[in-house]
Amino acid sequence: MKYKVREEGNVTVIDLSGKLMGGYDADVFRDLVHELIGKGRKKIVVNLAGIKWINSTGIGILITGYTTLRKNKGDLKLLNVSKKIESILYVTKLNLIFECFEDEHEAIGSYTKG
Amino acid sequence: MAEETFVVEFPSSYKWLNMIDLMCAEITAGMDFSRDAQDEISISVIEACTNALEHGNKCCPDCDVRVVFRRLGDKIVVEVTDCGEGFDFTDYLQHIPDPSDIHKKRGRGIFIMKAMMDTLKYEKVEKGGMKVILKKMTDGGGEEDDE
Repeated sequence: MKYKVREEGNVTVIDLSGKLMGGYDADVFRDLVHELIGKGRKKIVVNLAGIKWINSTGIGILITGYTTLRKNKGDLKLLNVSKKIESILYVTKLNLIFECFEDEHEAIGSYTKG
Repeated sequence: MAEETFVVEFPSSYKWLNMIDLMCAEITAGMDFSRDAQDEISISVIEACTNALEHGNKCCPDCDVRVVFRRLGDKIVVEVTDCGEGFDFTDYLQHIPDPSDIHKKRGRGIFIMKAMMDTLKYEKVEKGGMKVILKKMTDGGGEEDDE
C-alpha cells in the first residue's frame, strides 16, 4: 500500500494505492491516522481509486481508522469504492457503517453539511 | 471438460496474495462464470489464504500455504491448507460474529467466504493444520450433490 495526503480546506484526503491488506499496512495506516489527529485533522476522506484489491484484514485497517477518528470526534469517509470492494462492504454490512462517495467534491462537501 | 488441477505452495507472506488473485482470474477464465462470480471466487480464495497465513501459520515465513485449484466441468473446488494448530471450526461456523460489528476483529473473512461461495467446509489435516474447501458452481451448473 502507498499513500499520499492532500489537504482540501479543513478536510484531509488520503489517496491510497496498491493492495490494502494486513501486516505492515496496518501499522502505517494507524500511525498516519494518529499523526493527522495530532495535527487536528480529523475530517478524513480515504480515496480508494488506486486500490487494486483488498481483503478482510484491509477492511479491518479502515475500520480501525474509522473507530479511532470517531473516538476523537472525527470521521472517515470512503471515495471511489470499486465494485469488488463494494461487494465486500455489502456482504459484511459495513456499507451501513461507511459513508461512500463517487465524487470527491461531494465527499469533501459532506463535511460541511448538517 | 476433463478435471484440471493446479497446485501452488507459497510462504506465509501477504505479498503472494496478488499471485493468488491472478491465478484465480486465469483459472476461472473460460469457465461458465460471470465476471461477478469470478470476483467472488478470487475474493474468497484470498480470504482463505489470508486466514491460513495469519491465523493458521501465524505469519511464520517458514510455514507454507498450499492451494489446490480443481477446475471441473460445472464447478471449481479450491482447497487451502495451512500448517497451524487448527481451531474448533464446527462451533466457530455456528457462531460467526456479526461482520458489521466494528468492535470485532475477526470473523469477517469466513463470513465473506460463506456469502460468496456455494460451499465452505473446514477439515483438520491429520499431519497438522487446517484445510478449507471452497466450491462454486458455474452459472449453468447443477445443484451441489454432496452437501
